[in-house]
Amino acid sequence: MVVYTQEHVYRHPWDRVTAAAWRKFTDPASRTALSHVADVHTLQRRVDTAAGRLHAERSITVRSPPLPFILRRLLPAAAASPSGAAICHCVETSTVDAPGRAMDVVVRNVSLRGIIEVEERSTFRPHPDRPDDWTQFTQETTIRCRPLAKLAAVAEKVETRCAERFLQNSAKGRDVVERICRYLEAEAAGAAPSAV
Amino acid sequence: MVFGRSKSSSSAPAAASSAAAAACSELRAAYHECFNRWYAEKFAKGQWHKDDCVGEWHKYRACLEEHLEDKHLRQILLESETSYCVQLDPDSSSGQGAASAK
Repeated sequence: MVVYTQEHVYRHPWDRVTAAAWRKFTDPASRTALSHVADVHTLQRRVDTAAGRLHAERSITVRSPPLPFILRRLLPAAAASPSGAAICHCVETSTVDAPGRAMDVVVRNVSLRGIIEVEERSTFRPHPDRPDDWTQFTQETTIRCRPLAKLAAVAEKVETRCAERFLQNSAKGRDVVERICRYLEAEAAGAAPSAV
Repeated sequence: MVFGRSKSSSSAPAAASSAAAAACSELRAAYHECFNRWYAEKFAKGQWHKDDCVGEWHKYRACLEEHLEDKHLRQILLESETSYCVQLDPDSSSGQGAASAK
């Protein structure tokens, strides 16, 4: 099992950063940066208008990095592609407490849990030093190979490769959120830049 | 990112959920546009007392119900109808506060 923790400070207020985070996968200008994301759908949403709470579940369909040959043999034929990549459905569960200015996001894979389990937990909170101006972001990623994959004797390598890809994509995701924040900032000022 | 497969037997993995994507893309875009504006301009700024996008959501969701193929994802989608109110905080379920259908 591998666990990675990351932190980042956005120099934008909480409401802007969380608005940007919602747009991360659906913003047309982000398609190139997040090209591993094939499709995103909202599957559930609940809005508690009395308490100011929002709960949503989205499916995120991603292309995996090319898999080692041995693991490919464990996949059903439908999942394999000539390049050795596979398609994976993840589910992202988000909860926003607007009065408390808290947003929590958990992403888990729902495909192939017999081989690998990935969980990514993120939080967005007002930064303790400048709560009205900055946002503190934390993210913990846990990757665990199942015994079936361990039998393949490549589990450790797979975990590492998977983790590397996750970290790359997390960094891209941060860049995308930063860019959308700047766009929203300009838009709020009444002068949205023409090129996002 | 991580390994996986779709339940669909499509020969092109990238097209795994393309049926839903193609059929529902306009309804999804309408919902996202509504949601993004509502979240940024109202909900996150303290005006959470009204859900502006109920109509857009119901249309989009109905489309997904018809076209979404993946078994796992369908299960989550269908859960949202049956367990809607049960899962909400009991203390916030008075009146219409907890309902998204109002």
